[in-house]
Amino acid sequence: MWMAYSSSPYGTRRIALACFALLLVAIFLFPNQIQGLLQYLGGPVGYVVRIPLEAIASIDAGIADRWEQYVALQGVREENQQLRKEIEWLRGQHSQLRESAAATERLTTLLRFKEQALPTMVAAQVIGRDATNRYRTIILNKGESDGIKPDMGVVTPAGVVGRVVKTTGASSVVLLLTDPNNAIAGLIQRTRDEGIVEGTQQGLAQLKYIPLLSTLRDGDRVVTSGLVGDFPRGLMIGTITHIEKQEGALFQSAELIPEVDVGRVEEVLVIQTSYGQASKAGSGANLIEKSSP
Amino acid sequence: MKFLFYLILILLLVPVQTTLLPHLSVWDIKPDLGLVAAALIGLFTGELEGLLVGLTIGWILNLFSAGELWLSLLTNGGVGLLAGFLGRQVSQVTAFSLGGVLVLVSLVSGLLAAINFKGFDVSQMWWMVESIVFPQACLDGLVGAGFYWLLSRRFDLTRLRAD
Repeated sequence: MWMAYSSSPYGTRRIALACFALLLVAIFLFPNQIQGLLQYLGGPVGYVVRIPLEAIASIDAGIADRWEQYVALQGVREENQQLRKEIEWLRGQHSQLRESAAATERLTTLLRFKEQALPTMVAAQVIGRDATNRYRTIILNKGESDGIKPDMGVVTPAGVVGRVVKTTGASSVVLLLTDPNNAIAGLIQRTRDEGIVEGTQQGLAQLKYIPLLSTLRDGDRVVTSGLVGDFPRGLMIGTITHIEKQEGALFQSAELIPEVDVGRVEEVLVIQTSYGQASKAGSGANLIEKSSP
Repeated sequence: MKFLFYLILILLLVPVQTTLLPHLSVWDIKPDLGLVAAALIGLFTGELEGLLVGLTIGWILNLFSAGELWLSLLTNGGVGLLAGFLGRQVSQVTAFSLGGVLVLVSLVSGLLAAINFKGFDVSQMWWMVESIVFPQACLDGLVGAGFYWLLSRRFDLTRLRAD
């Protein structure tokens, strides 16, 4: 590396430095305004960027599909047998659950509970992952034009995936359940103890702030509490695998294995209105999927 | 013509970074192609163009990430500007020196991001530095140096920079 005579006109260099300095000052003096302005300008940009993004995502999905269909078929026979056994077991469980569902229905009628509207949801496809390595996020092919806004909950039929943190006109960014920056109100299904579910650095989740007297144990299921945020009550979050109780601590915490494999999720549902909001807005009584991905 | 080139580059950068690179990641770490592109453009076109293209790349990539906007603008714009200075002041930029600069910039950016995370204690921050920030900085440097080396095999880069 040799030092050389600078051939750059001083004017250009000064302009560049002045621009950069001005931008720095503006960002630090008016962070929210600058962020808001750039986010607003990013709305229409999202439509333009979505075109190559969706094209490459569909090619990528096509290749992955072929791979799964033809190449990665090793061990499928064993897996099939295992799944058949699971189906048998689940059939037994299913009939029991139907019984208890019927009983619940009768009891609900007896108690004259208010009929609650189920949430309105929008189906979306995963078209990418976070542009950096520092966050665990997924990018969806639906955005503001489809009614998606920041803080909306994102789920699959299996359980919670995360929540929307950023939107453009045609896409949105979802912070996954396993990201340490995420926090969702959770409830241990068996003991009814509440806590906060946060992601861990290892890509799992943990339930924090569980009361010391809670009788939780490994294998307990954690669901959304529905008290905070845009998630309705009772959506599956994960299963407790390890309990941590420190000497002198005010609370205990537990490690969870998320119910949804967020690393492989391809289609999701974005919750637009929760139970309460849906009933206020007079929405239908069924889970409404506005559009397909 | 140049504008069209930048437009295509930025439009392609988003799907490559968010859709294709996760498949090519090494231990779940992928390089920041935005940083590399801003550095190379700054090096060949000068401070102002490097800064403007870097800022645009930072802004657009940030729309598809949960990261902080100011950090993305600062990093990508800054590296474009820095590479512009480097290109003007240093007569013989090598793949090695460019890679070194990219490692440093990526490290600074990663450290700023780690400090900016709310609620992180020292052990969590250290974990982030050793398992994400440092490997990514190395990867960024390697990819940047690799691109520069490939370009130098194909074109006369000293003449390209002088033009």
